[in-house]
Amino acid sequence: MRGVAISDNRGTSPRDVFEAVERLAGGLGTSLLALFTSAGLIVVAAASLAGVGLLLLPFMLSLVRLVAERERGRLNRWQYQVISPYADTRPTGWAARLRAAASDPATWRDLRWLASHASLGLLLGLAGVVLPIIAVRDASFPLWWWLLPIEEAGASLGFPVRTWPAVLAVSLMGISWAAILIGLGPAMARLQALPGVRLLRPHPSADLSQRIAQLTVTRASALQAHAAELRRIERALHDGTQNRIIGVAVLLGVARDAVVRDPAGAEAALERAQSAAEQALGELRTVIRGILPPVLEERGLAGALTSLAADCPVPCEVTVAELGHLPVAVETTAYFIAAEALTNTARHSRATTAAVSVNRVGDLLSVHVRDDGIGGAAVSAGSGLTGIRRRVEAHDGTITLTSPIGGPTVLEVELPCAS
Amino acid sequence: MRIVIAEDDALLREGLTLLLTARGFDLVAAVPTPEEFLAAVAEHRPDIAVVDVRMPPTFTDEGIRAAVQARRLHPPLAVLVLSAYVEQSFAADLLADGVGGIGYLLKERVGRLQEFLDALHRVVAGGTAIDPEVVAQLFTHQRAIDVMRPLSPREREVLALMAEGLGNTAIAERLFVTDKAVHKHIRNIFLKFDLHPTDQTDRRVAAVLRYLDSRTPSRP
Repeated sequence: MRGVAISDNRGTSPRDVFEAVERLAGGLGTSLLALFTSAGLIVVAAASLAGVGLLLLPFMLSLVRLVAERERGRLNRWQYQVISPYADTRPTGWAARLRAAASDPATWRDLRWLASHASLGLLLGLAGVVLPIIAVRDASFPLWWWLLPIEEAGASLGFPVRTWPAVLAVSLMGISWAAILIGLGPAMARLQALPGVRLLRPHPSADLSQRIAQLTVTRASALQAHAAELRRIERALHDGTQNRIIGVAVLLGVARDAVVRDPAGAEAALERAQSAAEQALGELRTVIRGILPPVLEERGLAGALTSLAADCPVPCEVTVAELGHLPVAVETTAYFIAAEALTNTARHSRATTAAVSVNRVGDLLSVHVRDDGIGGAAVSAGSGLTGIRRRVEAHDGTITLTSPIGGPTVLEVELPCAS
Repeated sequence: MRIVIAEDDALLREGLTLLLTARGFDLVAAVPTPEEFLAAVAEHRPDIAVVDVRMPPTFTDEGIRAAVQARRLHPPLAVLVLSAYVEQSFAADLLADGVGGIGYLLKERVGRLQEFLDALHRVVAGGTAIDPEVVAQLFTHQRAIDVMRPLSPREREVLALMAEGLGNTAIAERLFVTDKAVHKHIRNIFLKFDLHPTDQTDRRVAAVLRYLDSRTPSRP
């Protein structure tokens, strides 16, 4: 993030000066918008006193937001990173909109910025545009003054110039304009951006409370994912393994009962009991694999993904870069994301090839799963993708799904993985 | 003895069928859903129904609800509920009508054939057969302790065995005392729980119910 300090000890290069002029000129554009909007606001406010302007107030406030958003966009282009502070909810109805705007601190911060940018920002922007023009005009005065009608020459000094010393004085003045521009230009540009950087960002406390709200949501979904996971495991153990073992106990009872009376029947019951015990073991293995795949521990993420791809009915290519040490939770999440995505691919996409790639850049692990199927996948449509989203949110990661009708489907997940 | 079984797990249904037919019981139906169970009970009017707690569609307490409904529609149907885990409120739900003929056993008890068959006979005869595991858990609960407070330790033991469904003689054998002593303990329990001989409901069941109900302060 670029700092907002006005003083800067670096030397000024020609590029800095051009950049400063460009920024001041851009700022002039938004400051003119701010000026017109301010004028409009004053008119509407005055009309509101008479009652009729009140209807226009929500519209004007939307206009203010529009102008502020434009300035945010401009500041972001200059790497200031000014994010929108507005609440996501947009109430409908005149009174609700007005109430929401009045209670949003961002509205008042926008208005303060508007006043400052329409005045100070406008002056700095004008200076930034006019200074280079008059610097060039005056500095080049010796080259063309003689072309002017005698009474017109030397306008910047305020009196007619007819002698070479006076002409040189005008030229010197042009050079000093240029010097002022070189010396002060970058600082002027920063000063012009300052109110926007200060006021258009979310209030520092709002920033934190937004973060807290976001954390609350992701924590809730982490807990929800956790609970759903436990329920799934409980269901699998209860309906599968436990029932099989109860079956074993019952069949053993049947066999014991029959062993003297009906040895053949006892043999048959024991046979059934044995196969039920084997089924129970098979189901137990499936449950264990669903909790934490042993292959992940034995062969790492790369090995686990390779064996996952080998099991996938769609031919699947796996590329895993050098990942270094990863926290177990991140590794497991990455594995389940790939597993879930490939399951979706196999079930719904009608793809002929799929690819999984895993990379790490710094403290960010990225998992890409792509297939050449029919597309049309949506996070809200399948519970599998919803499960992926919950897992990703629990890690504070990001998830992007592109799946146009006709394909291809690309799932991109980024997970913070600082260990 | 005519029996209807409601159990969604095919293996267990098969095991129960094998076991009961081998012992000469008249197994008139073995079905996997509550709806089929209610239809089978209406059609065959069995002496006893053996019902799994968790059945489709939600796999929570469908079996209990179906059993309660079947008992209301076709009294005096005896019901033996089989469950994979201990949940006292289910037993209390079943006993709430104050009429006997109720059993609640963990599924694995079915493998102990003689005990299972004893339980079946007891329940058909209008008694109770509550799993020792359920009974054992009762003593860990504060409200149960409060309800049991007036009882002497010996009386509590007798009540627990009554809940399991044991008769006076069996209780006497288990506790190494005389029948007469057991009879005295039971009279004291009825007295302390304020259960009089004139009451319509079976006093043994009422005492057991008091005991089970104390375990479940908030039933849904």
